[in-house]
Amino acid sequence: MTSPLEARSLSLDRDGNTVLDNVSFSVAKGEIFALLGGNGAGKSSTLLTFLGFLEPSGGAVLVNGKTVGSDVASARSAIAYLPEATSLYGHMNAYENLDYFLNLAGRSATQADYDTALDRVALPREARSRRLQFFSKGMRQKTAIALALLRETPILLLDEPTSGLDPVAIDEFHDLVKDLAGAGQTILMVTHDVYGACQVADRVGLLRRGQLVGSFAAEKGKRIDTETVHAAFAEREAV
Amino acid sequence: MNKIFRIAKEEWRLWLRSKVIVLATLIVAVLLTTTSVLTVNRVASEQSQRLAQQVAAEETFFAQPDRHPHRMVHYGHYAFRPPPPLAAFEPGVDAVTGQSIFLEGHRQNTAMFADTKAAADLGGFASLTPASLYQLLLPLLLIVLGHALLLRERESGTLAVMLAQGQSGLSLATGKAIALLAVIAIFMLPLIVVAIHSVLRGENALTAAGLVGSYFVYLCLWGTIVLAASIILKQRAVSLGALIFIWLFAALIVPRLAINASSAAIDAPGKIESDLVMLAEQRKLGDGHNAADPAFQQLQKEVLEQYDVEKIEDLPINWRGVVASFSESELTDLLNIYAENRMEQEASQSHLFNLFGLASPAIAVGSASRSLAGTDLATHHRFLRESEALRFDFVQSLNEVHANELSYADDMNRSSDPEAERRTRVNSAAWRVLDEFRFVPDSASDRMNRAAFPFAMLILWLVLAGAATFLAARRVRV
Amino acid sequence: MVSDLLREIRFLAKDRGALFWLALAFVLSIIAVTFGVTEVRDQQRTIAELIEEDTADRANALKGQEDWGGAAYYAFHLAYAPPSEFAFAALGQRDSSPWKHRVRMLALEGQIHQADTKNADFGLVGRFDFAFLAASVAPLLLILLLYDLRAAERTARRHDLLVATAGSSRKLWLPRALVRVLALSLLLLIPLWAASSLVGTSGSVIIQASFVLVGALGIWWLIVELISRIDASSSVLLTALIGLWLALAIIVPALAKVAIETRQPLPNGGEMLLLQRETVNDAWDLPKEMTMAAFLEEHPEWRDHAAIEQPFEWKWYYAFQQVGDLRVKPLVDQYRAARLARDHEAGMIAFLSPTSFVERSFEKLAGTDAASMIAYEDSVRDFHAQLRAFHYPMLFREEPFDRNLLEDIPGFVPSR
Repeated sequence: MTSPLEARSLSLDRDGNTVLDNVSFSVAKGEIFALLGGNGAGKSSTLLTFLGFLEPSGGAVLVNGKTVGSDVASARSAIAYLPEATSLYGHMNAYENLDYFLNLAGRSATQADYDTALDRVALPREARSRRLQFFSKGMRQKTAIALALLRETPILLLDEPTSGLDPVAIDEFHDLVKDLAGAGQTILMVTHDVYGACQVADRVGLLRRGQLVGSFAAEKGKRIDTETVHAAFAEREAV
Repeated sequence: MNKIFRIAKEEWRLWLRSKVIVLATLIVAVLLTTTSVLTVNRVASEQSQRLAQQVAAEETFFAQPDRHPHRMVHYGHYAFRPPPPLAAFEPGVDAVTGQSIFLEGHRQNTAMFADTKAAADLGGFASLTPASLYQLLLPLLLIVLGHALLLRERESGTLAVMLAQGQSGLSLATGKAIALLAVIAIFMLPLIVVAIHSVLRGENALTAAGLVGSYFVYLCLWGTIVLAASIILKQRAVSLGALIFIWLFAALIVPRLAINASSAAIDAPGKIESDLVMLAEQRKLGDGHNAADPAFQQLQKEVLEQYDVEKIEDLPINWRGVVASFSESELTDLLNIYAENRMEQEASQSHLFNLFGLASPAIAVGSASRSLAGTDLATHHRFLRESEALRFDFVQSLNEVHANELSYADDMNRSSDPEAERRTRVNSAAWRVLDEFRFVPDSASDRMNRAAFPFAMLILWLVLAGAATFLAARRVRV
Repeated sequence: MVSDLLREIRFLAKDRGALFWLALAFVLSIIAVTFGVTEVRDQQRTIAELIEEDTADRANALKGQEDWGGAAYYAFHLAYAPPSEFAFAALGQRDSSPWKHRVRMLALEGQIHQADTKNADFGLVGRFDFAFLAASVAPLLLILLLYDLRAAERTARRHDLLVATAGSSRKLWLPRALVRVLALSLLLLIPLWAASSLVGTSGSVIIQASFVLVGALGIWWLIVELISRIDASSSVLLTALIGLWLALAIIVPALAKVAIETRQPLPNGGEMLLLQRETVNDAWDLPKEMTMAAFLEEHPEWRDHAAIEQPFEWKWYYAFQQVGDLRVKPLVDQYRAARLARDHEAGMIAFLSPTSFVERSFEKLAGTDAASMIAYEDSVRDFHAQLRAFHYPMLFREEPFDRNLLEDIPGFVPSR
C-alpha cells in the first residue's frame, strides 16, 4: 500500500543555501509523524514542499503515491494545513471564516456542521459570533483546527501547532490529534518541542541542518521516551 | 539638538540605501530639470518672437500708402502679449487664451490662436510645466519618501527603544521633519535657478522671491501632512494609501470639481451671446457708416449750432468724420460695458475657484503662482483692456483726420467719382497717430497683492497641519 | 466559478477599505455625470437663446436694407455645433475650441478664428467630467483596490494557508481581483448609464463607452497583476504602481505632445491672418481688374458680369473678400492638415497610454475630439460657401433687390 506522505531523497535549495539534503521518510495512514528540529533545520520547508510551494532541487515528495510537482492542486486538496501563528481573518467571526475557507477549498457545510467542529475543538459557543481580532491565540488556533476538521482531508500538516498555547490547551490539542489519527487521518507535524512531540507522535524524526539524523518510534502501547530523544536532540545540536 | 540631527542623518542614510527611493528621486530630478530648461527656452523664444511681431505690426501700419483714413480704421492693427519672465516657470493661462489680438474699428475681437486649440490631444492633463511638476509631482515624491518616517520606527520596534532612552516623540518628529526639509530644500533649487534667471531678464526680485516662497510653503505643507500621517497611522500601507488619497483629492479631483462648481454657479455669457444682446442696443445708436441715420439727428443739430451754419455741407469739417468719431465713441462705451461685465463675471468665477484653495492647497499655490508670475486671468484681462484702449485711440485719431482733412463733398462722392475718391486719400504720414504698444507685466506690488490671499490660505494650511503634527508628535506612544 | 465569485463578493462586502474606494468611485461618477449633464443643458439652452436672438437681429438688420450688397454686409448668421447626446461624459475640446460663430459674407478667415471660449482658468485646469474620471482617476482607484491583495495576505502570514486551501493561486486571486474590477466598473458605469438613458444616448455609443472603460480597467488590472507578483512589501508595490501610473497618465502623454507638436509645426496663425488682412486691404488700392481676374480664376462662371465701372461696387467688394480667403487658403489648409496630423499622431501615441486612449475614445464617441471640432469648422466653411452661392447670382447679375427673396438665404444646419 502506498504511503499518504512520502519524501524520497528530498533535497531543497533556497537562494543558494541547502535547506534539505537527501531526506527520506514516509508517513503511513493513521500515523502521527513528528519532525523535530531547531531553528533553521528545514522543518517548515518540508511542509511547504509537500504543499507544492517549494520545488525540490533533488528527489521528490509524494502525496498518495503521486509526485506533488505533477499535480499540485490534487495534492493540496488532500491536505489540510495548519500554519504556524495561524491567522484567519480578524474582521470576520468564526463562522464567517469557516465559511470563507471551506468555500475556498471547494466544500460546503451547514451551520450545524460548523458547530459540531467547533464543539470538537471546544471553542466556547458565545465566542463563535465574535470577530477573530478579539480572540486569544488559543481560540484562533482552535478555529483553524475546526477548519481542518471540516475539510475532512486524509492528511493533516501541522506547523508548530502548540507554540504559544497554554498547557491546558496543549493537552486538549494533543488529545484531538490522537483522535484524528485514530480515525485514520495521516498527520505530519513539525515542532521544536521535544516533550510535545514525544507525547503525541507515533514516530519522531530528528532534523538537523537539512538532514534527517535520527528516528525514534514508539513501542506498542508506550510513548516515545522523552529523555532519549532530548539527549539525541541536544547532542546533535551541539555538534 | 545633536540627537535631532542624528535622527535626520539616519533617515537620509536609509533613503540613500533604498533603490526605489533613489530611483524615484532621480527620475523626478531629471524630469524637473529638463522641463525647466525646455520651458525657459520656449518662453524666451516666444517673448522675443512676439516683441518682433509687435514691432513688425507697427511698421506695416506706418508703411501703408496714402488712402482714405476710414480704410485704416478697418485695416486695423495687432496687439501681442509677450510672456513675462516668470512664465518660464509658470506659463499659466497663456496657452489657453491666445496671445495676439486683432484691433479694428467698430469691433472688439477676441484673442486668437490659442495653443490649446491646435494642441495634440492626449487627454486631461495640460502639458508639463515646471509649475505643474511642483504642484503635482513633488508632493507625490514627498509621500513616497516620508509616508513611513516615524511609522518605520514603530514597525521595527525601535520606537520603543528610543522612547525608553528618553527621546521625546517631539524631538523624534523634529529630526524626521529636518530630514524631509532637507529634501525640500534640494528640490527648491531648480525653481531658485529659474527665479534668478528671470530676475536677470528683468523680473522684479521681490515677486521672484515670493514665487519661491509660495512653493516652499506649499512643499513644507505637504511634508507636514506626510509626517503627520506617519505619526498617526500604524501601518505603512495604510499611511501610503491615505496620503495618496489626499493627494488624489488635492491635486486631481478638487481643482477640477472647483472648475465645474464655479462654472455652474456663475454663468458668464460667451462673447457671441453678450454681443447679440448688445447689438440690439447698438441698433438704437445708429450705424457709424451711415451719416443720414435718424439717430444722428440730435448730433447734427448740436454740431450745426456749434459752427453756426445751416447745412452739414457748410460745416468747416467733414460731417462723416464727425459721425464716425461720435458713433465709435458711443459704441465703444457700450462694448466696454459688456466687455467689463463679461470680465467681471469671469473674475468672480475665478475668485470662487480660488476660494476652493481652502479645500486644496494645490489650488492656492496655483493661484499664487499665476498671480506672481503675471500669467493669471487678471493679467489677461488687463491685456484685453489695454489693447482696447490702444484700439480706441488709433481709431479715434484716424476719425479726427477723417473729420478735419477731408471735404464732405468728396467723401460723399468717392464711390461714384474717381477724382473725388483720389482726393479723399490722406498722406500716409497721418498713420503715425498709432501709439507704440508694449505690454508689460503688472507692477510687483499689484501681483503681490493679488497673490496675498492664496498665499494666506497656504499659510493657514501650513499652520493647521503643523499644529496637528505637533499635537500628534507630543502624544507618541509605543 | 460562480461560487468562487459569490464567496469573494461576500468577502468584499466585509472589507471596509475596499468599500471606501468603491463608494468614492460611485460618488465621483455621480458628480461627474451630473455636472456634465448640467453643462450640456446649459450649452443647449445657450444655443436655443442664440438662435432666437440671431434670427431677431438678422431680421432687424435686413429691415432697412435696399440692395443685395448691404443685406449681405449687415446680416450675420449663427453657426454652432450642438453638443452630442454623449457630450455630457466628455466635454473634451469644447472647452478650448469654439463651437459657435456668427459669420457674414465678408472674408471668412477674418471671422472663423474668433474664439468664443469660456473663462481661461477653465481651459487651464480642465473639467471633472466622466472621461477624466474614467481615464485618470479610475486607474488610481483600481490600483488602490488591488495593489496589496497578495502583499497584505503575506504580511498577515495568511498567504500560504489561503493558497494551500484553495489548491491553486488562480482559484483565489482571480475571483478576488475580478470581483473588485467588476464592482469598480459597475459603480462607475451605473451613473453613466442612468444619465445616458435620461438624455437619450444611443445604445451603441453606451456599449462602446462601457467597453472602453472596462477594457482600460482590464489593462490596468493586468499591470497591477504583473507588478504585484514581485515579492516586495505593499508600500514598495504601491510606489511602483503609482510611478507607472504617473508615467502612463502624465509623462508619456506630455512628452509625446511635445514631440508631436515639434514634428508637426503649425503655420503661424498671426501671419495667416495678417496675409489675409493685407490682401483684402490692398485690394482697395489695386486696379479692380486684377482683383476680378483673381476672383474669376475661382469663379469663371461670372466672367461676363465682372466688369467694374464704379469706384465702389458690391460685387467687387465681395470678390476681394473672397480673394483674401483664397490667398491664405494654402496656409489655412496647412493649418488644418497640421491639426489633423497632430490628432492622428496623438491617436497613435494613445495606444501607449491607456489614459490618453480612454479620454480620446470618449471624446470621439461624444463628438468632442479635435476631428469633430475641425469638422464643425468645415461645416462653417461650407455654410459660408452657401452664403456666397446664394448672393453671387444676385450681385453679379445685378438682380433687382427683392425683400421676399431674403427668406431663401440659407441658414446654418448643424451636421448632427
